[in-house]
Amino acid sequence: MTLLRRVPRRLIQLTCFVGAVVLVWPVLPWAIAPRFFQQVSPFVTLSSSIAARSIGVGAVFALVVAVVSSFKKRWFCLYLCPTGFLLENANHVGLRKTSWWSKCPPVGRYVAILTLVGSVVGYPVLLWMDPLCIFSSPFAMNKATNPVSVFLVCLGLGVLVGATFIFGMLWCVRICPLSGLQDMLYATRKALWTRMAASASSGRFNVARRVFFAGAGGAVLALWARRAGAARQRNSDTLLRPPGAVPEDRFGGLCIRCNNCVHACPSKIIHPDTGHEAGLAGFGAPVVKFDRDYQYCLETCNSCTQVCPTGALTALPLAQKNKYILGEALVDNNVCLTALGKKECNACEHACPYDAVKITWDEDQYIAYPAVNDKCIGCGACEVVCPTTPVRAIRVWTQKPA
Amino acid sequence: MRRSLAAGGLFAAGSLMPVSSALAGQATEKSAVQTGAHVPATLVDGKVVQPRRELPVLQKTSVLVVGGGPAGTAAAFTVKRMGVDVTLVERYGYLGGLATGGLVLGIFPLYDRSNKQVIFGIGEELMKKLDVLKYGIIDRGKAPTYPTIDAEAFKFVLADMVLDSGVTAYLDCWGVDAIVDAKGAVKGAVFESKSGRQAILADIVIDCSGDGDIYAAAGAAFEKVKTNIGLISRIGNIDEVDMAPGRGSEDPSKAQTGKPGGTGDARPSKGRVNDFNGHAGNSTPAPHMNWLNMRGPVGDALDVSDLTSMELKHRRGTWSNVEKLRQKQGDEQVYLAETAPQLGVRLSRLLDGVQKLTVQDIRGGAKFKDVIGYSGAYANAPEFQIPYGSLVPAKVENVLAAGRCISAEFDVADITRLIPVCWVTGQAAGVAAALCIQDKCKPRNVNVTKLQDILHRQGAYLG
Repeated sequence: MTLLRRVPRRLIQLTCFVGAVVLVWPVLPWAIAPRFFQQVSPFVTLSSSIAARSIGVGAVFALVVAVVSSFKKRWFCLYLCPTGFLLENANHVGLRKTSWWSKCPPVGRYVAILTLVGSVVGYPVLLWMDPLCIFSSPFAMNKATNPVSVFLVCLGLGVLVGATFIFGMLWCVRICPLSGLQDMLYATRKALWTRMAASASSGRFNVARRVFFAGAGGAVLALWARRAGAARQRNSDTLLRPPGAVPEDRFGGLCIRCNNCVHACPSKIIHPDTGHEAGLAGFGAPVVKFDRDYQYCLETCNSCTQVCPTGALTALPLAQKNKYILGEALVDNNVCLTALGKKECNACEHACPYDAVKITWDEDQYIAYPAVNDKCIGCGACEVVCPTTPVRAIRVWTQKPA
Repeated sequence: MRRSLAAGGLFAAGSLMPVSSALAGQATEKSAVQTGAHVPATLVDGKVVQPRRELPVLQKTSVLVVGGGPAGTAAAFTVKRMGVDVTLVERYGYLGGLATGGLVLGIFPLYDRSNKQVIFGIGEELMKKLDVLKYGIIDRGKAPTYPTIDAEAFKFVLADMVLDSGVTAYLDCWGVDAIVDAKGAVKGAVFESKSGRQAILADIVIDCSGDGDIYAAAGAAFEKVKTNIGLISRIGNIDEVDMAPGRGSEDPSKAQTGKPGGTGDARPSKGRVNDFNGHAGNSTPAPHMNWLNMRGPVGDALDVSDLTSMELKHRRGTWSNVEKLRQKQGDEQVYLAETAPQLGVRLSRLLDGVQKLTVQDIRGGAKFKDVIGYSGAYANAPEFQIPYGSLVPAKVENVLAAGRCISAEFDVADITRLIPVCWVTGQAAGVAAALCIQDKCKPRNVNVTKLQDILHRQGAYLG
């Protein structure tokens, strides 16, 4: 009997898993499909809507999930979650060393509280722990240009599968913030339903204290991260975010490391950050790097801005994306072949799609060099064609106020 | 009458006709025509009038090549090789044009996107001759690094070849006008030299003047463009900064390993010109010597005032830049070895040919039925085919263009003007001119298959 009841759940799970892969791959010709995948998670949609102070169409799916989950305990986990499906199978073949963590408190709900409070401050601190983001991230692997990027996009899911293989369903049962949020929704609904609203918080001091600390921690972490982000924007010379990125003080929080943008970029210029550019708070978040032999931020493309589920990258129409200032191109005349009289080179001038670079003759210095005007948006077309080795003479740097 | 006298091109064309009755009344002029004695220009009513006169014919030849630069020498050697009588005329006292006198020592673009050499033929032969000379050429076959030649070695190679090949050459001899027949077809060209104004009659004229002086005088349509005019120089005692850390170089073997330090690593400041203290210029075959390119301001290469002002300013500017260079540690002993004898004129006239090579053609990798060679990949342009049609004027007969003044859009001409591409167009024009003589046809009617076949046998690369 138990077996019979189990079979359809497995089938539904498998269907959802395949559906998830189809959405994220994306096999669909509909390029913005990946965005709606993560938006199904009420955790992602709720936190990001609060943090960004705006709400999108995808919220409808999240609402449905939230409502059903508040009636049927962990309904999403049991039936829909592709990460859950994957981990259940990993657990099935795994070692199941469950003993030590079975008495562990349900961390997930405090992660959710911490993140929600952080969202109110504008920085959803641990939103990247959402299982759907972790699931979709490795799909960006085909756009990774180096082993480090491959490692970074696979890190989350790899850790979860590994941990589940060894310890059993530790993640799903105790840590996952999405399941934590569902638990809270279920408990809240039940409390309201049975008209025992007070019971959720009263009587159990432990729980109330944890909720308070999680909330306070969320606020403090969010404030710290926003300050750190603002400082980063001021101090960094090389930090470039994909087009449409919200200001740096909020970017690290709103970005959930789903790597949809990495996956969407045809030019392969978006890479998950190792922390080198944006520190610990920016670990895994997308940065733009222009590599030789790859393309630049094409004037015909705004894909990355269209696939972001949280609004960390604002969905910009193409015309606006082409006005978004990614950075500013600056020239080092001590490297430039033209300035140094090494070669007839005007590669940057020819490459610029915005007419922003002109090889200019300087009558006072009696040399010529590429001069960059205000039309530059930092698309990197000049940087990828600059022939100097190992340092390119024209590079896109973080834009600084004049 | 005065108007017709003042019009240079027409005047020259008419100068070989019998004495005009218009001049009959002036006894001195009449006798001048008859005797060939010189009559100076005359001031008539405040206007300077050049008397009509017959020009001595210096030479009659099958093919006349005007201009002894990379295109002109390639054309002349090719014509001679095909057993056709050829005369080469050069304005300066040496051959090689901008490759020697202009100190454009870098031989690029030679390679395609995958660093395979796509320019061979006569250019490759010339480089092979340089290969065996000490200090003749460096960085051969080291794509993507392009070879660099020595100007004197190249002058030697060209002089040696002219002396041995039997090409009739006139140096210090400036082609100033076309000679056309009654139908407007080109029949030769007029030259100015220490021997005075003289004519060379030819069945086919190849205009390798760079500025398209001859086809323009013959009435072919062209586009006049203005671009930067520089002056290249060579600086000595510079080798010690070759391997300085952090200096940009296109050559990976010359780039230092490890993390770049100092220059290139720091954020350049916006709106301010950095101090010019990098590693200036590129190495040459001559030891301790770099050639230093100069882009220069935009100027009119067909305007003597522009040219003069640049000749003067560029030499002053080069001297002061070398002084600036000397202020840098390690470069105290740098000296200015020479400024190029010739200004670095990039483009002036662009022919309106049977086929104009467009930016679209090269971006789209256009394949031409009448392909005569390739240009290598340059900056962000891929390697591209050059059609024979870009060497043939749309209207005027008996003249071919080769070198920088062929029929191409400005941005394409900015590539086809470079030394190896001039070799390619020069060689093709040479074969075509010889075929015109052998097959008794006009340049526009040359058998393209035959042309390609001969080019191929001569070692040219046609894809």
